[in-house]
Amino acid sequence: MLTSFQDIFAPPRHLILLVIAAWAGLLLTERRAQRHGIETEQINGLAFYSIIGFVIGGRILFAIQNFSAFNKSPASLLAVNPDLFDLTGGLATAVMIGLIYGQRNQLPVWSLLDAFTPFFAALMIGVGFSHLASGTAFGMPTELPWGMELWNARRHPTQIYEIIASASTFALVWIRRPSPYRGVDFLFFTAITAGWHLFLSAFRADSTLVLNGFHREQVLALFTLAACFVLIEWRLTLPDTPQKNSLI
Amino acid sequence: MQRNQRIILYILLLIAGAAWTILIAESTSVAATQGISAPQAGFTAPDFSLKTPNGETYTLSELKGHAVLVNLWATWCPPCRAEMPAIERMYQEYKDRGFIVLAVNMTSQDDAFEVVPFIEQHAITFPVLLDETNTVATLYQLRSLPSSYFIDRNGIISEVVIGGPMSEALLRTNIERIIP
Repeated sequence: MLTSFQDIFAPPRHLILLVIAAWAGLLLTERRAQRHGIETEQINGLAFYSIIGFVIGGRILFAIQNFSAFNKSPASLLAVNPDLFDLTGGLATAVMIGLIYGQRNQLPVWSLLDAFTPFFAALMIGVGFSHLASGTAFGMPTELPWGMELWNARRHPTQIYEIIASASTFALVWIRRPSPYRGVDFLFFTAITAGWHLFLSAFRADSTLVLNGFHREQVLALFTLAACFVLIEWRLTLPDTPQKNSLI
Repeated sequence: MQRNQRIILYILLLIAGAAWTILIAESTSVAATQGISAPQAGFTAPDFSLKTPNGETYTLSELKGHAVLVNLWATWCPPCRAEMPAIERMYQEYKDRGFIVLAVNMTSQDDAFEVVPFIEQHAITFPVLLDETNTVATLYQLRSLPSSYFIDRNGIISEVVIGGPMSEALLRTNIERIIP
């Protein structure tokens, strides 16, 4: 079954899984948006402009970083190669456009983040499935009985760990009663996600090692977790944050 | 939960997270992919030895010290055909800096009689190798054509590009990363 899945969604088709997850996440976000005082049209508008920003921003920032390559063949700027893409640049552009859209439509940032939490949670499941299909984010060699054959070794099925963790996080986010404080739902999701990344990244064999052997993903997750705790406490102490249409 | 209880919980979680990070760092001081050969970025490129239509033999492991692009292709595959001129241009531009292209034709899934006319038609000057027994396709766990592997001078795969056609900018970016 796993082999069939990997054959069907072998790269570059693994990107379809991300598109499906994003689409499903957006549908779920639409269903819950009004709880956070945001209209469906506003969700769709923000998603539309952010996705365009993600695609264009990712390509342009990649081109800037590899200016000499594009300078010699500028037509490549329009090439249909998903590899010509800077993920961080794409995400940063999408966030910036989202913020501008939110400001123009007078949407509170923390409520927006809360509204989009199901989208982020669904997308994380898609990322896990796309890792499984492409064989990236692979695990350390192991003798454990649930290890799987990948890249000529029996390895921790880190992609399956990732799918289970992200699906559980999604379930938790979906069934949990919304917090009356703006931003806490999003920060709760981010903290949980950072927590399992911190734990599971230890089993990955493709980690970049920084500062004398620390896994970069673990270090980032630890800092994200600490930031989430500080921000949650800050949001809970603000007197004017309860959001519109809260269930509590 | 009271605020004080939450703060104690946060501190305990962060201490546990930091301890776990340190513990893992101490147990993994070397790259986990070292010494293993697999068709994935970070691993040693699986070795092979194949012949050109003229009977000349090329062995990947003998090309250490060079930047190598292994391109798996077939004459019936439109993106493979489309990216060949760009690969040839890059080969001409970088060959003096130690860049080599090994274009491995999936001969077991292709028409062997089409290969030489294709080479002549596209004026290809880099080595085109014939995989008549599906050896490289199996070693590289081929799922899609074209598949390209950018290999650095130590024989480590730096980048894998599945699908195509690759643009000149993509080729140039990846070649610049592996050039000696």
